[in-house]
Amino acid sequence: MAGIDLTATSPRTTLDVVGRSPASRRRLSRAALYVILSVIAAVMVVPFVWMVLTSLKTPTDIAASPPTFLPTEWAWSNYADALAAAPFLTYARNSLVIAVSHTAINLLIASMAGYALARLRFRGSELVFLGFVAALMIPTYTKIIPEFLIVRFMPLFGGNDILGQGGTGWLDTWWALIVPGAVTPFAVFLFRQFYLDLPVELEEAARLDGVSELGIWGRIMTPLVKPAFITVALLTFESSWNNFLWPLLVTRTDSMRVIQVGLSVFRTENDTQWAFLMAGTTLATLPMVALFLLGQKYFVRGFANAGIK
Amino acid sequence: MAVVSAPRDVSAPPATPSRSPAPRRRRAGAARRRAGMLMVAPAFLHALIWIGIPVIAAFVLSFTDYDVLTQPRFNGIQNYVDALSDPVFRRGMVNTLVYAFFTVPVAMGIALLIALMLDTQLRARALFRTAVFIPQVTATIAVALVWLWIYDPRSGLLNAVLGFFGIPAQNWLSSTTWAMPSVIAVGIWQGIGLKMLIYLAALQSLPKDVYEAASVDGASKTRQFFSITLPLLKPATFFVFVTSVISAFQAFDLIYILTDGGPANTTTMMTYEIYKSAFREFRVGYACAQSIILFVFLLLLTLANRRLNGGDSGRH
Repeated sequence: MAGIDLTATSPRTTLDVVGRSPASRRRLSRAALYVILSVIAAVMVVPFVWMVLTSLKTPTDIAASPPTFLPTEWAWSNYADALAAAPFLTYARNSLVIAVSHTAINLLIASMAGYALARLRFRGSELVFLGFVAALMIPTYTKIIPEFLIVRFMPLFGGNDILGQGGTGWLDTWWALIVPGAVTPFAVFLFRQFYLDLPVELEEAARLDGVSELGIWGRIMTPLVKPAFITVALLTFESSWNNFLWPLLVTRTDSMRVIQVGLSVFRTENDTQWAFLMAGTTLATLPMVALFLLGQKYFVRGFANAGIK
Repeated sequence: MAVVSAPRDVSAPPATPSRSPAPRRRRAGAARRRAGMLMVAPAFLHALIWIGIPVIAAFVLSFTDYDVLTQPRFNGIQNYVDALSDPVFRRGMVNTLVYAFFTVPVAMGIALLIALMLDTQLRARALFRTAVFIPQVTATIAVALVWLWIYDPRSGLLNAVLGFFGIPAQNWLSSTTWAMPSVIAVGIWQGIGLKMLIYLAALQSLPKDVYEAASVDGASKTRQFFSITLPLLKPATFFVFVTSVISAFQAFDLIYILTDGGPANTTTMMTYEIYKSAFREFRVGYACAQSIILFVFLLLLTLANRRLNGGDSGRH
């Protein structure tokens, strides 16, 4: 309600001055609201529409200046041609493997840690929690160089000796792509918040019934925080699928590339063939948009909760 | 289901006599603590190896001359002196601050406005919310490629739309005037959804009776906004600010695709300079010093906001 007077750009923003006909004025400001919001929605959506339309244009349409909005001829074969021009499916498969691994590992390990920090206090657990909060604050760019060095000098991998010399370590392997980013402090933090809100009686009753601590976590408490799991799963999958710099740094060969790196390489190597590039970008974007639309309720609610708590 | 019905017995104090003798409870407590430690251990070790050690290593390496191939050599604060006197890195610092200014406080204002518009009984609210949020879940690389194409000077959509209104075409990304605004526009466009969403959720959880009381007292809507809504939004504002600043200071993918830091370093960022120093020039020690400077910037901004906002992200 507080929104109406602020958002209407018409001069009649002072609602406390009683107008002739409040009903008609409300209708007017409501119409203005719809117009403004429609423009905003269009600005948000049109780039995606443009992406899809471009992916269906012929080279002549692409070169047209000024461009036509709709393709004059719908080039559906662009998708097959794009897949032939670059191994986008391999890239997408790699991204999928990594995103699924990250999600599974994060759900298991972070929920366990979040639960323990919320409910199974031990000496130093406050300190450990503060450590995770501090880790939240650390920028990727402050840790990424040493992370790269650890991966590069990983002992006994990729031809390295016990001191990590002589080979390439984890570079260009699944290890490097999956392990360093598998558990996020954010997930630990979020899980802890959710587990904190559960009633203590549940836990104590289960304990009296002789359920093990692991059982209390897995069978009693965890089913009660399903929204947290869905939220963390969606956020982990999304950030993993969308990650760029780390896979860029640790992969060399085409067969190990992820979709985001593949797209950026395709752009520089192929003198920017826009139709193919937009076809690849569409393929890279659609899974995330579909996932978001399917899980929007959890996504939105979970994220908002995480934000306010 | 016995589990569910049991708590009532436990929580009703007069009904239950002493629950369990003290020694047994202590033993159970020890088991619980042990379980707690074991359950935290994997996440803790992971964070230690991939966050704790790297941060310490970055700090240590920042005082050395290191190129990966030869042993690191201690060189004091030389890297910091070099970084702070390097005109390109300084340019990166200024650009990062400018970018952060527009994609954090300015974008937060816009996000709050949109959230206020959506916090009414609109029929199409869910649809709007979805539209605003989709760029957020899309990869920055994909977003940047689409905008690269939109900004294309010859066949791009932007020049075509502007041409329709009689506005002359621009070389958006290769003009020293327009490159930065173009990058910022994409940054705002992508990040507005999350900010708006958090504000919207916060708005919807505000107590309605306060507004009724204020209306009875004759406070105008504008007055209500500044004396009730904004203060009540403090926790949300703090959270949005901190998360947005962190992501604004780490803008990289956009720059990588859109401008490569150019033209003439007008869009280079601290992150981009760190990347170039470490992975193009192999000046690892120097890059670590730059990354510590970035960290200090973020820390100062977060602390400053905590001070200004007077609160923290604590529960409301």
